[in-house]
Amino acid sequence: MTAKVETAMEQIEIATGVLVVGGGMTGVETALQVASQGYAVTLVEGGAEIGPGAESRPRGALPDGADLADRVARVRASDRIEVLSGTRLDAVAGLAGDFRAWLGTAEDVIERRFGAVVLATEFAVKPLFLGYQLSPGKAVIGQSDLENRLAEDPAAFAERTVAFVVGFAQNGNPLVMQRVFNSVKALQAAGAAGVNVFVADLKVADDGLERCYREGRDGGALYFKLKAAPQIATAEAGVTLTFPDPVLRRAVNADADLLVVEEALEVTAANADLAAMLRLDLGPQGFLQADNIYRFPVATNREGIFVVGASREARSLAWALTDARNAALRVRELLGDGKRSVPRDKAVVDIGKCTFCLTCYRCCPHGAIYWLAENKPVISPVACQGCGICASECPMDAIQIGGFRDDEVQGRIGAALADVNGDPAIVAFCCQNSALAAGEMAAQFKMPLPAGLRLVQVPCAGKIDLQYILDAFVKGADGVLVMACHPGNCKSERGNTYAGWRVEDAQRILAGAGLDAERLRFATLAANMGSDFRAIVVDMAQKIQELGKVSQ
Amino acid sequence: MNSQTKKVMVIGGGIAGLTAAWELAAAGVEVALVEKAPFLGGHAIQYACKATDTCQQCGACGVEKMLANVVACDRIQVHLAAEVASVSGDGPFTVALRASGSAPAGAGACGAGYDADPQACAAGRGYSVHNGVFYGPDGSFDPRRVAAPADTTVDAVVLATGFVPFNPAEKPTYRHHELANVVTGLELERAKRIFGDVRRPSDGRLPARMAFIQCVGSRDERLGHLWCSQVCCPYALRSALATKHKHPEMDVTVFYMDIQNTTNSFGAFYDQCKSALRFVRTIPVDMYEAPDGAVRTRYMTEEDGAPVDEIFDLVVLSVGIMPGADNSALSRTLGIDLNGDGFFARPDLLNTSLTGRSGLFVAGTAGGPMTIAGAMAHAGQSAAAVLQYLGRASR
Ligand SMILES: Cc1cc2nc3c(=O)[nH]c(=O)nc-3n(C[C@H](O)[C@H](O)[C@H](O)COP(=O)(O)OP(=O)(O)OC[C@H]3O[C@@H](n4cnc5c(N)ncnc54)[C@H](O)[C@@H]3O)c2cc1C
Ligand code: SF4
Ligand code: SF4
Ligand code: SF4
Ligand code: SF4
Repeated sequence: MTAKVETAMEQIEIATGVLVVGGGMTGVETALQVASQGYAVTLVEGGAEIGPGAESRPRGALPDGADLADRVARVRASDRIEVLSGTRLDAVAGLAGDFRAWLGTAEDVIERRFGAVVLATEFAVKPLFLGYQLSPGKAVIGQSDLENRLAEDPAAFAERTVAFVVGFAQNGNPLVMQRVFNSVKALQAAGAAGVNVFVADLKVADDGLERCYREGRDGGALYFKLKAAPQIATAEAGVTLTFPDPVLRRAVNADADLLVVEEALEVTAANADLAAMLRLDLGPQGFLQADNIYRFPVATNREGIFVVGASREARSLAWALTDARNAALRVRELLGDGKRSVPRDKAVVDIGKCTFCLTCYRCCPHGAIYWLAENKPVISPVACQGCGICASECPMDAIQIGGFRDDEVQGRIGAALADVNGDPAIVAFCCQNSALAAGEMAAQFKMPLPAGLRLVQVPCAGKIDLQYILDAFVKGADGVLVMACHPGNCKSERGNTYAGWRVEDAQRILAGAGLDAERLRFATLAANMGSDFRAIVVDMAQKIQELGKVSQ
Repeated sequence: MNSQTKKVMVIGGGIAGLTAAWELAAAGVEVALVEKAPFLGGHAIQYACKATDTCQQCGACGVEKMLANVVACDRIQVHLAAEVASVSGDGPFTVALRASGSAPAGAGACGAGYDADPQACAAGRGYSVHNGVFYGPDGSFDPRRVAAPADTTVDAVVLATGFVPFNPAEKPTYRHHELANVVTGLELERAKRIFGDVRRPSDGRLPARMAFIQCVGSRDERLGHLWCSQVCCPYALRSALATKHKHPEMDVTVFYMDIQNTTNSFGAFYDQCKSALRFVRTIPVDMYEAPDGAVRTRYMTEEDGAPVDEIFDLVVLSVGIMPGADNSALSRTLGIDLNGDGFFARPDLLNTSLTGRSGLFVAGTAGGPMTIAGAMAHAGQSAAAVLQYLGRASR
């Protein structure tokens, strides 16, 4: 059932330099890791410093006692790493193995060629005073301010009462929480008279945080978990917080000399610009990675562009460095020794048929198509994922996908239907990333499946042409299923969306031809769900049973 | 590339071990993958999809994909139902393997068709279509695909022996097993994967009222478990939302202390949860028998502390991530420390794949709680650390 693809390969030369954007600790680690594999690295940082000076994780969110400076020294000492501080990434063109970047320094714009790009941008730390209708003052400060003061003059907090509000102006995350827990402990060490933390949810889902929280609590800190922020009255000498007490069943007051307001760790505006420049799908909260399991951990929709640390999530430095090492692995896999063997026919444009409409360029979810000076679309065999979306969308049928040329797929539809005898024939077009495995699972586990069911593999549901669907009916199918990944689970982001649209179009055509539109169904499922596959096909078979075979 | 081929042993074939093995093999290293159970994929190969109309990014189907990569890779030699008996040397290491005593279900698995005994069939075939290559026609191991336990010399070792889900027998008032319709999160996942839907163990019916109880065994001072398992809020909420989406008439309640985040989409996801599910901020601990297989529980309300009696058709205990059963034995065999919680210690704050001993690395939940996505990233880091250790990292 699985199509065995025989393809001619060709050797191509690719650039092996690597551009790392962002000079915080994650960018520094990425540069070191990539350079240790023998690649030349250009590390670009907008600010003047790299390393701790460019790191956006506030001091309260950094691990205690870790030697960060040493890594910067190693970057400086490496003859494979070029550090360009005070430099902007102005523009990027090209594709994996052949990116061209323009780097703007104070004096000049430098043009360079790279094989891969790693984005290690930082976040912005944003105080959330507005979320509590407060403004900073003597008695109301932000978390960063507290951390700085605790580092500079802890004695100033002796005998003082400090309150925190956290989780009411944002959902928050373990990094936000870790800062509070650390400050609580530092206040206790400084001899504070009392610490009260007003919190929506304790976000303790990272290493050691539950313990850190308990240490503060055992040291006398009081935690009040509330559904809504306490009422806050500010005065020159301090604040009064009012909140419902579930035990006493009435509103109670707590006074504090100082109220510490939580901060958000947000992406910077630069992310949106980078996404536009690099044709990346912007993810939730403005991170540079879509929420899609195929991007785990450091991939983007574009081959050769990787995202690490704060560019993809707000998490601890340890996890950000984990990303850096994963990015180095991916870079190595992509760039190798600079020679790559790629299939000749992964996706090929027949220029004779092409009318230069740009459809393919626009719809390719992986940014794998580029435009030559002589106005010709060319598909990069390195960047192309072979999904076939472009082939199915091209109005001229000018693109063919290796292993899934139109004639091959149509031949398979015919062959699949040839041996259905008597039973209602159902052709299921199965995305090889989800439905195919689920279908094979159902068969291997001997789940009862309709006798006339035949599977036709496609590289992505986005490759299911309108023509294939109609062809299946012409060749004798009584029903057709288009089986794709759940929305948000498509490796090519939108292949399932395109497939759904084509099903709607085909249903209209079927209805126009006097066939019940119910003979064609669209369904989504995951690779691990043989039982879902079974339910979908059995339901379909029942429907076809009701409708009867198509009378030819 | 280094001309001399290096060999690495990966102990444990869950998502962390699979990922480490695959990354190492991709870099040209020979891998011996040792798995105690008769199938690869560990816990996560048993989980169900939690999509509603859209994918909820639980990561379970990603495990399927990594398993497919591994079984197709000829640089990875797989030992199933095997475990480490002894290790000697300081790199290279000589590892003696022995049979773990577990065995595939053998003949009969799926023999009479899936519906004759879905659980036995799924378990007998290792829950996944990709484990199929390991079994011969009679359901026993195919010796061409499953290497016999033998002494092996390797240049480095990755420990990816994972976790055990909390055993609710340690909290007897939940009366897990004693009451048929008190199940663990793992049992729910497995049942959803096998049957495609939620079912009550007592009678196979769809529950009308279902409750999830969070933090069972985690964040528990009495048990000395001072950690958040990190995965049980995500899995319970996703599972609850998917179930509610499929059966809008069902009442689904979540009893919790604090809700932990899922992915970057958490805000939107949690809003959806808040409108579809009922959240009660308390953790009930006592379960009683109620008519018709139902389960009665008592708790105090969050608002005014009033006592409430409630009845559910199905109660799911959101069990968390506990240190692996073999951790102390492995710690002695390999000469590496455990931390105070019983997971493998990771002394380097900035590289959590390193153990205290050179040549030995840790990957995934063997070192502490993490999600599937986390375990994949962590195992990638472990593979990178191994490559650096082997000196193969330079081209
Ligand atoms: C009920 C439940 C639901 C969950 N749902 C999700 C979810 O939806 N999304 C998510 O991201 N995470 C989820 N998780 C967490 C997820 O299970 C883990 O992140 C993941 O399984 C960790 O993989 P691992 O490889 O570290 O460990 P494991 O899956 O435990 O794999 C370890 C492997 O090592 C083997 N092994 C153990 N000891 C030895 C030995 N001595 N020798 C050889 N082999 C050995 C085991 O048999 C096992 O195969 C869930 C957890 C639970 C308990
Ligand atoms: S979609 Fe087809 S016709 Fe349009 S530019 Fe691309 S190849 Fe040419
Ligand atoms: S096959 Fe897919 S990835 Fe390749 S060029 Fe076409 S749309 Fe892009
Ligand atoms: S919900 Fe989980 S199993 Fe389902 S498609 Fe999404 S990631 Fe895969
Ligand atoms: S993830 Fe949620 S249920 Fe699990 S231990 Fe943490 S807070 Fe409790």
